[in-house]
Amino acid sequence: MGGLFRRLDFLLHRRRFEQELDEEMRHHQALQREAKRDGARPFGNVTLLKEDCRTMWIGNFFTELSQDARYAVRMIGANRLFAGMALISLALGIGANTAIYSFMEAILLRPLPVSHPEELVVLRWCAKGPTPVVKSVNGTWYRDAGVGRISPNFPFAAYEVLRGDGETFSALFAFVPAEPRNAVVRGQAEVLRADSVSGNYYSSLGVTPAAGRLISTSDDRAGAAPVAVLSYQYWESRFGLDPAAVGQRILINNTPVTIVGVSAPGFAGMDPGVETAITLPLHTFPLFAYRPGDEQRRRFFDANFYWVEMMGRLRTGVTMEQAQSRLAARFRQFAETTASRPSDKTSLPLLAVGEGRGGRDSLRRQYSQAIFVLMTMVGLILALACANIANLLLARGESRSREIAVRLSLGAGRWRIVRQLLTESVLLSCLGGALGLLVAFWGIRSITWLLANGRADLTLRASLNLPVLGFTAALSLATGLLFGLAPALRATRGDLTPALKAARTTAPVRRPGLPIGLGQILVVAQVGISLALVIGAGLFVHTLSNLNAVRLGFQRENVLLFHVNARPAGYRGAALARFYGGLSESFRAIPGVRSAAFSDYPLASQYWNGTGVVIPGVEPQPGKPSQLATMSVDPSFLSTMAIPILAGRGIEKRDLRAPRVAVVNEQFAKEFLGNANPVGRFIGIGDARESPAADIEIIGVAGNAVYNSIKEEKPPALAYLPYTQNPDDLSGVYFELRTAGAPLARAESVRRVLRAADPLVPLTDISTQDLEIDSTIGRERTLANLGACFGALALVIACIGLYGTIAYSVARRTGEIGIRLALGARRGSIVWMVLRQVVALAGAGLVIGFAAAWETTRFVQSFLFGAKPNDPLALSVAVVILGVAALAAGYAPARRAARMDPMAALRCE
Amino acid sequence: MGTRPEIPPGTLYMLILKTLARVGPMHGYGIAQHIHRISGEVLEVEEGSLYPALQRMLIKGWVAAEWKQSENNRRARFYNLTSAGRKQLAREIQEFELVMAAVVRVIQPA
Repeated sequence: MGGLFRRLDFLLHRRRFEQELDEEMRHHQALQREAKRDGARPFGNVTLLKEDCRTMWIGNFFTELSQDARYAVRMIGANRLFAGMALISLALGIGANTAIYSFMEAILLRPLPVSHPEELVVLRWCAKGPTPVVKSVNGTWYRDAGVGRISPNFPFAAYEVLRGDGETFSALFAFVPAEPRNAVVRGQAEVLRADSVSGNYYSSLGVTPAAGRLISTSDDRAGAAPVAVLSYQYWESRFGLDPAAVGQRILINNTPVTIVGVSAPGFAGMDPGVETAITLPLHTFPLFAYRPGDEQRRRFFDANFYWVEMMGRLRTGVTMEQAQSRLAARFRQFAETTASRPSDKTSLPLLAVGEGRGGRDSLRRQYSQAIFVLMTMVGLILALACANIANLLLARGESRSREIAVRLSLGAGRWRIVRQLLTESVLLSCLGGALGLLVAFWGIRSITWLLANGRADLTLRASLNLPVLGFTAALSLATGLLFGLAPALRATRGDLTPALKAARTTAPVRRPGLPIGLGQILVVAQVGISLALVIGAGLFVHTLSNLNAVRLGFQRENVLLFHVNARPAGYRGAALARFYGGLSESFRAIPGVRSAAFSDYPLASQYWNGTGVVIPGVEPQPGKPSQLATMSVDPSFLSTMAIPILAGRGIEKRDLRAPRVAVVNEQFAKEFLGNANPVGRFIGIGDARESPAADIEIIGVAGNAVYNSIKEEKPPALAYLPYTQNPDDLSGVYFELRTAGAPLARAESVRRVLRAADPLVPLTDISTQDLEIDSTIGRERTLANLGACFGALALVIACIGLYGTIAYSVARRTGEIGIRLALGARRGSIVWMVLRQVVALAGAGLVIGFAAAWETTRFVQSFLFGAKPNDPLALSVAVVILGVAALAAGYAPARRAARMDPMAALRCE
Repeated sequence: MGTRPEIPPGTLYMLILKTLARVGPMHGYGIAQHIHRISGEVLEVEEGSLYPALQRMLIKGWVAAEWKQSENNRRARFYNLTSAGRKQLAREIQEFELVMAAVVRVIQPA
């Protein structure tokens, strides 16, 4: 081993080596000349001599390596079946790992394409209880078990205060990500994802323009001429990289905006989950609003209105902890000044500084847990594959024990032989890794397809990039060492004499003090691991089938869904209602469309419009005001969605004008009226404390239909209201078209109809009710599909392992079985003798796997629906599947053993 | 140049090790001269085999090298026996004697 280090030292200091050798030669020659003996030989060929010296150092090592590699190729070639099985399991194992890792890289690890992303931080606030100073939030918030409510949105005044902290930040910028905006670009209406950013956004990030210029501080102030910067992708797709795009005008919410430039390729905003098309200054918000003055006041002067997100670049030398303590104190001071009552100061939101190298964390939050679950699954699958190959190598090592014993006794070093065996396994694993890249390529495509689920705007770009390839290379090497080391060490240890003596290695070599072989332990572990994986897969599949079996209360098939918002194009109030009504009539006239309806949101799309409700004669429970979900719909909505009317009547055309009416669902009657018939009662909608007038008559009761999400336990009490009831609130609507055939085939006709009605109104979010529901369970679907794949893979690999072990042990016991048969053993008892071994191994594996699964399934609880972590059905099905598969894998060699010709078996000894 | 008796294959390491053991640290030229002289000018160690052999012994850790001032004030690489080299020398001598004795038995007239 010391030689290895000296060699390494040589490789690192080659230049010194050459110089020293030169000097040594000169010295030698000088002395030789001085000696001046007659007949003294001239000095030999210096170059050759130096070459010889050099090969001393490196020659051997590399010659041996290439010898080993050639030998390994021959050995792999000589045993095609073994090599094939090993390569396939390695390719699947490494490929699956690479595919999942590439998603992990894309979602969790990839930094933003900006300069020094590691310096970036994200600011958020969190609060356990209610926070009175946060009067309203326009943005996102979510709950986290330990911290409470978390939100990235702040009032603009907070940004102005924190931006002043030059000690902590070298830059702090504010932005609002990915607002959908109606735009007219080159005469065509579309909806664009627009980021609104503070003037220092691009300069802080160090993003450069690809054309024109970027937004600067002078663009971002009230009264500045409105400008926009295109993202490179949008410039490419919409303008074909035409430099003349710069300087063009586009309409955003009917306001002209000048394109001043294009940002660098690859950069698409702060959220890796959303591809921004266009970026506007923050101060353009009022320009696009219904009432610009109000918007201006609300956004820039209301310190209780939380809306902008902030990211900053820490000054060099400032640690996260320092930034956290300084900024939290500053924000606290600020928040105190915004409290209207002294009591509000006791529960202020707390500022938290988080790492910002990956940008916004919407994707990470959504997928990180699922990725870790999948990463664990594929890691276990690779472990299974490794165990398989180790087992095959062990078996082969025993059959090669004579060859190895001969070499050892002829003086080969143990390390030399181990190295040669390891070269073989690493070569195998690297070949497997190379094949695995093909598997990964295919896997990434399939998973992307699964995640996209028909949506074209998936921004997740997992690919086989450099970090992923590095991971695969490292994984392949480690895999080769892992499955190669134990068999190699085992093959070269111990006493050589028995191995040399045995004419052939047919005698089972039981080593003293080791009642169970390494091979058996590996098989037990394999059965255990694959049981755990199959149980996991079973839970995910069960969850998906539960979700698909949810009683919706409406018909999801053959409904085309799309969004239309004519408000930014100038329609308001009654004109807007008339526009939508007219559109609905025109859509109904399209051939193949059975009926058309629209509503403010589609069903089961995770949308919730909750409000208070007052029902005269019904006292709300104290401290718990009655809550009602509402949906604004047109008269044909219930019939189009096939939601049945159980009592009274549905909404009709005449209800679009006064008097005010509503159709409620069954749950409403159950929750508020004790199942009494609600038809004819009056209700008031709005905040109960403001006692709204009870002027809405209930005209009918509809069947319960899933409202918010198919994962909801029961539908909420719900009222369907005619869309004309609050004309001021009317904005964009979703159309539902029930079609005769495939819904998406009607999309072009719909587009034509809309263009004819008004070319400035864009058609967006084209989908179907089926796809819409599927997209809300995308994570469950992905997990179920991948989980089932991985479970099946694990099962197959474990069965191959079991089959291999049993077949090998049968082969070794050929002689013994021959004797038993010759002495009159019945074939059935031979089968049982072999199967007993299978049952013992599989049984031990099942027990261990079951215990492991019992303890670990709770970690996936958050992914389950309608299935408990230790779901008895999933557990027992998995045990049965695995047990049957194990018996099947073991039965084939057992049968072969029983069918053996005793004479042939005895002769083989 | 007439034919010279070759150094028997495999014995060069032993000769070098023994030289270093007897004389102490020496440079390459010195080692060659010493073997030449002690062997009664029979054995001639060529540079082409001497220096690769020394490198090999460095790798094996039998000798260590050090740059020092030589007797006539030149910088030279001096080779020194290590303890591993000492053990190797003992082993090689033992083996060599065994082989020599055997060879002698074979070639002696019966």
